[in-house]
Amino acid sequence: MPPVEHDSFGGRSLFGRPMQRRSFLKAVLAAGAAPGLAELLAACTGSGTGVATTAATPKIPSPSNPVRWPLSAKHPAIKAGLKPKPGSTLRIYNYADYLGPQVIKSFEAKYGVNITVSTFNDEDEALTKIASGGLGLDLYFPSYDSLGKLVGAELVRPLNHAYIGNIANVWPQFHNPWYDLGWRYSVPYSVYTTGIAWRTDMVKEDIASRSNPYDVFWDPKYAGNLAVIDDWHTMMGMVLLRSGIHDINTAKPADIRLMHNQMMDMLSKTHPRVTITMYNDLPAGQYGLAQMWSGDVVNAQYYLPKGQSADVLRYWFPSDGRGMVDNDLMVVLAQGSNPVAAHYFINYMLESKIAAKNFGYIGYQPPQNSINPDELVRDGFLPANLKTATVLPHYFDVGSRLLQLPPKADLAYHQIWQEFKAGA
Amino acid sequence: MPDRGPRGQRLFWPLLALPGTVWITLLFVAPLYVVLAVLFGGVDPILRQPVPVWDPLQWNFSQFDYVLGHIVGPDGFFGPALVRTAVYVALASGVCLLVAYPVAYYTARFAGRYRGVLLALLIAPFWISYMMRMLAWVNLLQNDGLVNRVLSLGGLYDVHVDWLDGRPVTVVLGLVYGYVPYMVLPLFAGLDRIPAAVQEAARDLGAGRFETFRRVTWPMSRTAVVVSLLVTTLPMLGDYYTNDLLSASPSTSMVGNLINNSVLTPGQTGQAGAFVMLVLLVSIIPMLIYVRATRSGVEVQS
Repeated sequence: MPPVEHDSFGGRSLFGRPMQRRSFLKAVLAAGAAPGLAELLAACTGSGTGVATTAATPKIPSPSNPVRWPLSAKHPAIKAGLKPKPGSTLRIYNYADYLGPQVIKSFEAKYGVNITVSTFNDEDEALTKIASGGLGLDLYFPSYDSLGKLVGAELVRPLNHAYIGNIANVWPQFHNPWYDLGWRYSVPYSVYTTGIAWRTDMVKEDIASRSNPYDVFWDPKYAGNLAVIDDWHTMMGMVLLRSGIHDINTAKPADIRLMHNQMMDMLSKTHPRVTITMYNDLPAGQYGLAQMWSGDVVNAQYYLPKGQSADVLRYWFPSDGRGMVDNDLMVVLAQGSNPVAAHYFINYMLESKIAAKNFGYIGYQPPQNSINPDELVRDGFLPANLKTATVLPHYFDVGSRLLQLPPKADLAYHQIWQEFKAGA
Repeated sequence: MPDRGPRGQRLFWPLLALPGTVWITLLFVAPLYVVLAVLFGGVDPILRQPVPVWDPLQWNFSQFDYVLGHIVGPDGFFGPALVRTAVYVALASGVCLLVAYPVAYYTARFAGRYRGVLLALLIAPFWISYMMRMLAWVNLLQNDGLVNRVLSLGGLYDVHVDWLDGRPVTVVLGLVYGYVPYMVLPLFAGLDRIPAAVQEAARDLGAGRFETFRRVTWPMSRTAVVVSLLVTTLPMLGDYYTNDLLSASPSTSMVGNLINNSVLTPGQTGQAGAFVMLVLLVSIIPMLIYVRATRSGVEVQS
């Protein structure tokens, strides 16, 4: 039985990713010359909200523009052939309940290492604390778009692939991912889609059979009965997808204007709730319809009140895979004192059996070859009515990814989001 | 020897003010300066965290300008939230006063030997975390929650009120519920101080119940009313979690939500500082009223 409080589950950075991302390449370049953050700051003071100071647009990692991060000179990879010291401590930094407790226990038993798990609510909080450096954390679970910041600020340690033979168990897409060519710093942890979830007892139509299911968020019929995800890019990406714009990182002024109008229109037509606690609110009957992450809808079944059958839950994601798909990672932090155990743990999590066990607990699917995405229902990972929450490998070829935005577009997106949230 | 006494006294009295001064410096003045340094400071280029600038000569006013520039006019998307805040807080404070005054009055004047018990009961809500009390309301107000079930008389009528779907009335009532205990206490203290003899004298001199209240009790309790309004209004101005828990819809966003959103958005933390300064400026006005009210209160007494 999964746990309570999956706050901001699944590693989506909740706020302001592109603002952070936009300068990372510059930072990465600068990192070669190893200046302190302070010097970078001095150069950039005053780049407030509205101020886009970066003149040259840095290269943005994207599927069509893959990035190979420089190896950190300050923090070299560990040597091969080491063993974790029994009795040592492995400090893991993660979202709450995003790692199965049995998995932790079995690792501790197998290697004699003590594991402590500290948790955070969103990635910005996490990055701030990691950057402060004093926590000595070994292992962190970011989403792929934080990687630039982590590498840029030299907070992560390159991986020694000799320890991570189980990478072979992972979907081939992730053996050389565009966000980290040669997986120098990261291995994939979970995959998820962003779609629409609803309860059949509160929504009397089959959303999936609409010609454009995203329209429901503008249908006055559902005013007050729906919620959207409190993550600016995830929510705004959905608005673009509804208008048939599959480049959810568009910087075209016309697209951005359209998005702005659509969002204000939504506000006046359905005044949605903006939250990330759908996995709790939807089962509780606070609303019947929500934009939702696939892993959260899987979890939602455990939050239903007693006597309420999970049959009422439904999830829609475009069957051709042309929606939002994302993945989370595991990285070794440079500040940790136990990088060897961290490598062993990463390898352990990629073991097919362990990954499956962990999936059963966290509800977020690992990209494992051994887990047959077509048979998740048969294998007991998903109830039949939530088969649509399955993440298929080919989604990552056709789906839309949330990327860093060029500074001007980033500013425009943020301003619209701010306006939306202010309820103007 | 002769000058020792006066000198000791000179040191003694200021010394009494020391804890308070240290307290205010550490917990108000210093943090306020940090807010200013963040508001007028810069932003870390990689992690987009705020970088405070301590030297006022190097302050950058762009964030403050940005906020001010978006309050009124065609781009004034902060305006509605600010107006909303004023309206919600005014309504909630008014309702609080309507609820709290009679309660405090009764406790102070007529509770007799039960007044200790009553006071304890009035403070009782403080024993439970504010968050828990709001979460309890979330349960009660749910579509199939107790409130709707009671309203429908157990399913007799089809009452289908979506209390939690972003209704201003839910937010205002949430604020009232959350802050009303804070109002009862200062009101009680104020009403309790009014000598019963004065009121009896008014009755003796021919004033009716209402006249006595209007001409004696109310004027003498005005200071307490102002204090209690301040005690509830100021925290309401910064409240965002009541709104987050009972509505979570942008259509009821208040200034507290604007502050919270900005703090959580990398690169916008300075704007949160700007909103804090706005709230501070606005709340200084009632503070001045309060100071005046207490002064005149002293004059009446003497």
